[in-house]
Amino acid sequence: MPPLLFYLFVLITLGFGLNVVIARNPVTSALSLAVSFVGLASLFLSLDAYFIGVLQVLVYAGAVMVLFLFIIMLMDIKSEEAGGRANMAAIIAGVVVAGILSVQVATISGKLPFSDKSTETAALKLAEAGAQWEAKGKENLPTISRDLKAGELPDAKLMGETLFSKYAFHLQVVGLLLLVSTVGVVALSKRDNKEASSQS
Amino acid sequence: MSVFTIEAFLAILGLVLLMIEAFAPDISRRTLAALSIGGTALALVLFFTVASHETSSLPAFVQPWMKLDSLAIFYKGLSLVITLLVLWLMHECAPYLSKYTVDGRLSELFSLPLIVCAGMMWMAAATDLVTVFVALELVTVSFYVLVAFARKSNLALEAGVKYLILGALSTGILVFGIAWIYGATGSLSFEGISAALAKPETSKVPALLGAAFLLAGLGFKVAAAPFQSWVPDVYQGAPIPVTTFLSVGSKAAGFVVLTRTVEALIGEHSIIGPEVKALLLVLGALTVLLGSLPAIFQQSVKRLLGYSSISHAGYLILALACGDSIRTGMTSGGIVAFYLATYLPMTVLAFLVLAVLRVNGQGEDIRDFRGLGKRSPLLALALTLALASLAGLPLTAGFMGKLFVFFSLVDHAYWGALVCATIGAAAGFYYYFRAIVAIYSTEGSSNEPLKLNIASKVGATVLAVVIVVLGVYPKPLQHTLTKPVEVAAKASAH
Repeated sequence: MPPLLFYLFVLITLGFGLNVVIARNPVTSALSLAVSFVGLASLFLSLDAYFIGVLQVLVYAGAVMVLFLFIIMLMDIKSEEAGGRANMAAIIAGVVVAGILSVQVATISGKLPFSDKSTETAALKLAEAGAQWEAKGKENLPTISRDLKAGELPDAKLMGETLFSKYAFHLQVVGLLLLVSTVGVVALSKRDNKEASSQS
Repeated sequence: MSVFTIEAFLAILGLVLLMIEAFAPDISRRTLAALSIGGTALALVLFFTVASHETSSLPAFVQPWMKLDSLAIFYKGLSLVITLLVLWLMHECAPYLSKYTVDGRLSELFSLPLIVCAGMMWMAAATDLVTVFVALELVTVSFYVLVAFARKSNLALEAGVKYLILGALSTGILVFGIAWIYGATGSLSFEGISAALAKPETSKVPALLGAAFLLAGLGFKVAAAPFQSWVPDVYQGAPIPVTTFLSVGSKAAGFVVLTRTVEALIGEHSIIGPEVKALLLVLGALTVLLGSLPAIFQQSVKRLLGYSSISHAGYLILALACGDSIRTGMTSGGIVAFYLATYLPMTVLAFLVLAVLRVNGQGEDIRDFRGLGKRSPLLALALTLALASLAGLPLTAGFMGKLFVFFSLVDHAYWGALVCATIGAAAGFYYYFRAIVAIYSTEGSSNEPLKLNIASKVGATVLAVVIVVLGVYPKPLQHTLTKPVEVAAKASAH
């Protein structure tokens, strides 16, 4: 990807991210967050992580944002009055924490070894991986080795294969977790029948 | 039959109870409670028969993720016992709790603890961070629901919101830590992390950052300073059985994970060992002080027990920081397990008395304890024992646990931490005995004898006896927990 596009997407992600915090109107904030997510998704795509990029759009920019907007609409949140005094302590604390974290991340990523990964050698390695995958046995999905040999990274297939075979137990526990949270939401939000009947 | 079958049985029983409640809404509370308590008791009996001959193997699809060592077996047993006791407490508290729930329904209160128990049992055996994380979230999310369940009470709602927001934040921090650890060591299993950290070529700074976030995330769950601020409010607002469950079950599950994490991080030749130890010592000492000193000013017994729970977490973290202790012949994991085993009867007993008072229409202040010595001598004696044991009076269970922690601090000559621990213990004597004095003061608000059902009488007596027996004769329990040391010694000899 040309560097120009990279900087464009970074600008979109960060600029709209900043707008989420600055904007006074909650709807503006939420929509800025959605645009920021799209910028992030483009960055993922540019790193060949197509699956995560698509998930970012589907789950975050799609589902989560719709939920946000729904809540804003249902609760009828008015935009904050302009000129309200900003909480200086919160701003300072936020800047300090963000500063510490970025210094840490910068220090550490400066120390990590960088390997020279050009696209040509990567494709070669993919072909090798494809052969290894095939050698593993017939129960493994043949489409994965086919994709690998063609020099493409079948990231969604690999992810699915790992999730449903290696982490099968974890997946079921997560299913149980989701059920529990659904039950919790229902139990904590259902209306009192007695109250409801007395009101009507 | 394997241990895993029992865990799966518990989770499925929880689901079945939810289903029954959904499709047969007329079912009585008593039946639901009986099914849930009976199922857990059955699971406990089965567990003891299976765990006693240790050949029980795990099914293939969980084999890579779990290991049944003696620590895992111990914590699984502890989870089952506390779940059983909590379900019984729920049944006892049902009359007053149903006033605070929508429609007076309590069905989820009898099914969710079963799922929590399964999650805690999986956590106890987990050997890698993914399994730990998934099981931990199952437990935490269930607790979000349980804490806020009595939602007609404003305190419960406040507790639920606080626990949800801080819990979600801590989950984020935990995942961030796991990601850094994976980046630094290239492994998610405790063994792999320990092996990678022993290599000198592993880069130190990312590993340290990961360890710090990991410990902070787990620190939230076990109520360690400086992440302890949620504890008093949540303990006060949550229904009494749920508070009991939080303070024993959730804490035990958090500590088994913390034990394994710390063992992996400060293993032999670990490049970040000294730093992590220093961090744990500071955190532990701070937790003891921040738990003990504010407790002196508390009027509500539930808040008092919340602060007490913080300071106990501090002692446990100090024990973990020390590593193996020569004087007691126990590993740090063994000491923590012993401490938690003694912590269970005294905490449950204290909350049981609170529950009985609550059912009888009393509040949760120290003032409400006045005259208890006259109104119910049995409960007064039991509560005195529980509080004395929480303070660490000799010849009670709590004394032995604290003694082991102090011994291992002396062993490793961590004098600063020892001073903090001593100050904490001294403050503990003050605030627990203030409550004991209230029990035997004569001027009470009422002098009517308390109505006690047989189950509460038997329960209080059994728990009190356990406290005394563990305090006078701790050898058998200590012996079951020293096994891992011998095994480890043998392994290192080869």
